[in-house]
Amino acid sequence: MKIQEKGSKIILFTCNWNAYSGLEGAGAEKRSYSASVHPIRLSCLGRITPGIILKAFEQGAKGVYLVGCLEDECRYETGSQQIREIFLETKNLLKLLGYQDNQCQLDFVAAGNGKSFVENIHKFVKGIEELEENL
Amino acid sequence: MNGFKQIVQSNRVWLCLDCGKCSSVCPITRHVVDCYTSPRLLVETAIGCGEAEVLDDPLLWSCLTCNQCTEICPSLVSFSDFIQNVREAARDQDRSGDCTHGGMIQTWGRMMTDPELKQDRLDWIGSGLKTSEESDTVYFTGCLPYYDAAFEKLDIEGIEIARSALKILNHLGIEPIVLADERCCGHDQFWQGDMAAFRKLGEANLEILKRTGAKRIVTTCPECAWTLKHTYPDTIGDSGMEVLHLAELLAETDLLDNLTINPDTAHKQVTYQDPCRLGRFSGVYQSPRDLIQGLGYELKEMDHNREASLCCGTSCWSSCGQVNKKIQVERLKEAKSSGAELLITACVKCQIHFKCAQNDPVLEEEVQINIRDLTTLIAEQL
Ligand code: SF4
Ligand code: SF4
Repeated sequence: MKIQEKGSKIILFTCNWNAYSGLEGAGAEKRSYSASVHPIRLSCLGRITPGIILKAFEQGAKGVYLVGCLEDECRYETGSQQIREIFLETKNLLKLLGYQDNQCQLDFVAAGNGKSFVENIHKFVKGIEELEENL
Repeated sequence: MNGFKQIVQSNRVWLCLDCGKCSSVCPITRHVVDCYTSPRLLVETAIGCGEAEVLDDPLLWSCLTCNQCTEICPSLVSFSDFIQNVREAARDQDRSGDCTHGGMIQTWGRMMTDPELKQDRLDWIGSGLKTSEESDTVYFTGCLPYYDAAFEKLDIEGIEIARSALKILNHLGIEPIVLADERCCGHDQFWQGDMAAFRKLGEANLEILKRTGAKRIVTTCPECAWTLKHTYPDTIGDSGMEVLHLAELLAETDLLDNLTINPDTAHKQVTYQDPCRLGRFSGVYQSPRDLIQGLGYELKEMDHNREASLCCGTSCWSSCGQVNKKIQVERLKEAKSSGAELLITACVKCQIHFKCAQNDPVLEEEVQINIRDLTTLIAEQL
């Protein structure tokens, strides 16, 4: 069964700049992705905290997908590096809490690249669907 | 307002109105500068003002529940219990303390209330350490695996404390049960007044613990020890098992009698931070000191020690700011001025909070002193 039909939610955190323009690009190019994916735009992905990611899972998210800007394209210079550290810390906590590796992923996309953004989302959603089928 | 008045009555804090003795020791009273707050004043507010004033009082969520006040109280008032009761009532009005660390620690605590949760929390045991399915003893790990992941940047001894505890227990011939589905003990939820989460965690733990058939719980966290030993029986139920902090257990053994003292540690000057839950709450002052001296260290007491010990500055993750930092810095400076070159604690949270304060780029040398946990120091020498 598709994750969408099950009503499961996937939270997508993107930063306001290059990464989000990828999502806008996808919209302009009429590329669709699963309606279970709920994008939340942040001023910079580096400003997220492990607590916020855990909170998404606490509130029932099946997956949290983080999409940031390429390292040398971060508007605030250090955000992409910060999110790597935050991601690793969160992954360690999620592992302890029994979550699977593909339930929280981090990717970086180039500005305005709607095609690769949507492909990444498809891949992430597929991972979660496979996981749910094996439960 | 009636609710608060009832809490005033049941905790007998009306006695505070004529007193105020503890204002001189309360670290929050001493360090808050933008207004005046004290245990006595909070009681006065609870009796004489509206509910909103109580809920907005700076002491309500910043109180460390460190029991320094109780220690000197001539009327045997447990002010920490009063604070806990008011926080519980405040929760009903959707009020809570600061959301420190982005709510991370409270959130993983609440996630552990899920009965379906299948944690993967035993990876740390690795080879060389022995545990068993059946034993008289449970080693209660507490949130050490989680703190280890969350505070890696502070270079704390997180899971190393648990490994050391197992090494020591194995050395004593004990192969304890370590629980795969253990939950956070709920200490912080209780002291934050979050009774819904606390009860769920406690009930889950009691069920898991009783199922083991063990007689004794050993932990390396003073907060777990206090909660399992006193808070569970007082509020949820009794495991029927003896609960000990590892330092208490070791004091009853001859572990250190035949120890060849490492020349590196012999006569090294160290000082000891009494964790609130182990010291003032549980009255365990001497055992850790005996163990430290048993390792060959020369113990230099800080000015404030034992019953008068100062708190590590933060409690139950419900406040973290200027005041907490000042308390931590004051304590670290005191540790340095004792002449010691090593500060030993027996609580991972003391270590986390002190190491965090040491990160201050301005203070630098003033607060730099090596910090270690008693458990890891002992294990190193076996
Ligand atoms: S807690 Fe005790 S010492 Fe403090 S004000 Fe109240 S009665 Fe006095
Ligand atoms: S428990 Fe500690 S922080 Fe709270 S009122 Fe008493 S002395 Fe002050």
